[in-house]
Amino acid sequence: MSVSRRFLWCGVMAALVLAAALAVSACGTSGPGAAADPKGSFEIADYGDANDTLEQSAVNTYNATPEGHKVKAVLQTFPGANYSEKLQTIIGSGEAPDVFFNWGSGSIQSYVKAGLVQPLNGIFQSDPQLNTSFLPNIMSAAKIGNDYYGVPMRGTQPVFLFYNKSVLAKYHLSPPATWSQLLSEVGTLKSRGLIPIALGGGDQWPELMWIEYVYDRVAGAQLVTQALDGDHSVWKSSASQQALNDVKQLIQSGAFGHSYDSVKFTTGASTKLLVTGRSAFELMGSWEYSTAQGISPSFAKNDLGYVAFPSIPGGAGNPTDLVGNTQNYYSILKSAPHQQAIADFLKVMYTPKFLTNLVAKGWLPTTTDATKYIKASPSPNWLTWQFDRVKQSAHFQESWDQAWPPQQITPIHDAVGSFFDNMNAQSFISAMAALPAA
Amino acid sequence: MAVVTRDERSAGTATNGRPAGRGPFLRPRAAQDVGRPSIAWAIPATVYFTIFALLPLGVVVWLSFTSWSGIGAPTSVGLSNWRSLVSDPVMRESILLMLLLTALGVVTQIPVSLLLGVWAAGRQRTRAVLTALYFIPLLMSSAAVAIVWRALLDPNFGLPHQFPAIFGNGDLFGSAPDAIGILTFVGMWQWTPLYTLIFQGGARAIPTSLYEAAAIDGAGTVRQFFTITLPQLRNTIITSMILMVIGGMTTFESILILTQGHPGNSTTTTAYYMYEEAFDNFAFGKASAIAVVLVVIATGIGLAISKWTGYDKMRSTLEGV
Repeated sequence: MSVSRRFLWCGVMAALVLAAALAVSACGTSGPGAAADPKGSFEIADYGDANDTLEQSAVNTYNATPEGHKVKAVLQTFPGANYSEKLQTIIGSGEAPDVFFNWGSGSIQSYVKAGLVQPLNGIFQSDPQLNTSFLPNIMSAAKIGNDYYGVPMRGTQPVFLFYNKSVLAKYHLSPPATWSQLLSEVGTLKSRGLIPIALGGGDQWPELMWIEYVYDRVAGAQLVTQALDGDHSVWKSSASQQALNDVKQLIQSGAFGHSYDSVKFTTGASTKLLVTGRSAFELMGSWEYSTAQGISPSFAKNDLGYVAFPSIPGGAGNPTDLVGNTQNYYSILKSAPHQQAIADFLKVMYTPKFLTNLVAKGWLPTTTDATKYIKASPSPNWLTWQFDRVKQSAHFQESWDQAWPPQQITPIHDAVGSFFDNMNAQSFISAMAALPAA
Repeated sequence: MAVVTRDERSAGTATNGRPAGRGPFLRPRAAQDVGRPSIAWAIPATVYFTIFALLPLGVVVWLSFTSWSGIGAPTSVGLSNWRSLVSDPVMRESILLMLLLTALGVVTQIPVSLLLGVWAAGRQRTRAVLTALYFIPLLMSSAAVAIVWRALLDPNFGLPHQFPAIFGNGDLFGSAPDAIGILTFVGMWQWTPLYTLIFQGGARAIPTSLYEAAAIDGAGTVRQFFTITLPQLRNTIITSMILMVIGGMTTFESILILTQGHPGNSTTTTAYYMYEEAFDNFAFGKASAIAVVLVVIATGIGLAISKWTGYDKMRSTLEGV
């Protein structure tokens, strides 16, 4: 069995990768800039997926400009799976790119701390539009300390409560506006033999979405901000306990059924529950729309409803607050030799042509004038509704597993996964309090 | 017949204009060397083994004494990775789990594949068709097998929904015993065909004269199986066991796809824990320490099996036949 023999040395194989990376990084101490192309070009590390044609078209646009004729932009796409891991490996090496795709905040924290990332304040001074073209709450998600580090380059993906219109109509229910309404609808649906809320617990992060929203509504946005600053006491606060209690109540009411641990979003199983009407709700990122479309286009068009997360009366949170993936950003490494050329390239991100392409791909741009472009999209109502939520949001919380550095993803997911299994608030609190400051 | 000496041949190749670089290695020194391959033949394998196994292993041992996230240079941290590993409950559980899964693999796969293999070695009419069907899992990659079973075991759209009497509420991936059971079952489904093939070959190699003699003495099928087939397959069983043990201890893809170490850490084996530490948490130092432990345990068990079973002596099962 050659597979087994190979796996006997799997530790060794991993070591080989490490050794190679190490050798490369040792060479890199002389400074990545030294390897710059004399003709002038800068390299952009991009997340490779169906959307990277957008980035390629932005690169082509820039390369066609007079500036682009002097210093060329070169797009380097990395197949999406494990992008963070690949990025981390390559940034530590002499082959580091000049510009790189990221998720803002936690995803660039360690690079910023290591002094590798260029603050954009200077570039914003010479081109204020690079900052003011975008919604302020989106810009601040890539702000660390007083410095901006990211320019938005795709669309935003907030999390909403999706529902099956036919199922709600069948049982004479309306989309829940408050937590107590949600609880009572869960009771009705459960008594009719449905799994009221589809939940991909096998992936864990869909469970995290519930915790994030309930924490926001009950304790307010500042709890996570303080926790990210290193204040561990917030997790022990009464608001934190109350939030966990609310989630516990929802789980215990049977809202998610009994087999959510075995259901995954990533295999399409949780969305299928919603599409087939065996569940009425699913809390998911805006990509739920295209996932549902992939399963049944007619369902996405006629039967898929969406609503902001219910308010929790008495809680400290603002009901307009959102959680989700705020944006993807381009950040610049300090070692990049062609800073001015890169600044010129980034201008493309707020040009009408780029934004039109972005919308055509189904993304929601985060520029202040996004509505202009949304009208031409295949699903203008859905995008307009989303944009209004984003624009009106008092706070847009980056998903916790991206707000903290990548090293903390497993501990956060484990804490959430265990809470949904045993509903032990104490162990959740101590797990979260053990996270280092971001 | 005139014997051409190696000297003449190597001289010949040199004059033919071929590179003479191989000459010094291949030149025979004394008559007793004839018939034995020279050390030169081991060079490609040795070089390959050194570059792709020994050298990285050395680097891993060194990395296990450092802290490295992949950015910048590793910093030496002395024994701290090892200390944290010793007191790490997840590590301890992962080793026990790895041993449990390996044992379950051997216990389930050996009997099934042994019976199937011996049966497939026969000359029955349906044999060829059924054997071909049994080998289908062998054609699929581990990842494909895991994805198929994940879909088949979906609580709402898979088998558990169709057969609630067997699967209860269907939350197979939510309970530790069920998840371990699934991993064992999928491993058995995936690997039994391979061992069946090995046992089929082994059983075919047993001289028919033994069975004929036994039949004359009045031994039935069952008796023949236990007194002839089983002892004759001794070395085959040991080979399969070593493969199973090493394969079992390094099972990775099926865990990554089926359970991701969940629920909790109850299906986090040592190999999967190493992956998590290295590529999810970027703790390459600690991951390297885990890798070293894994290599030591796997090598140790492999050696122990071949020692205890006498496999290293390669004793023939056909002595006296």
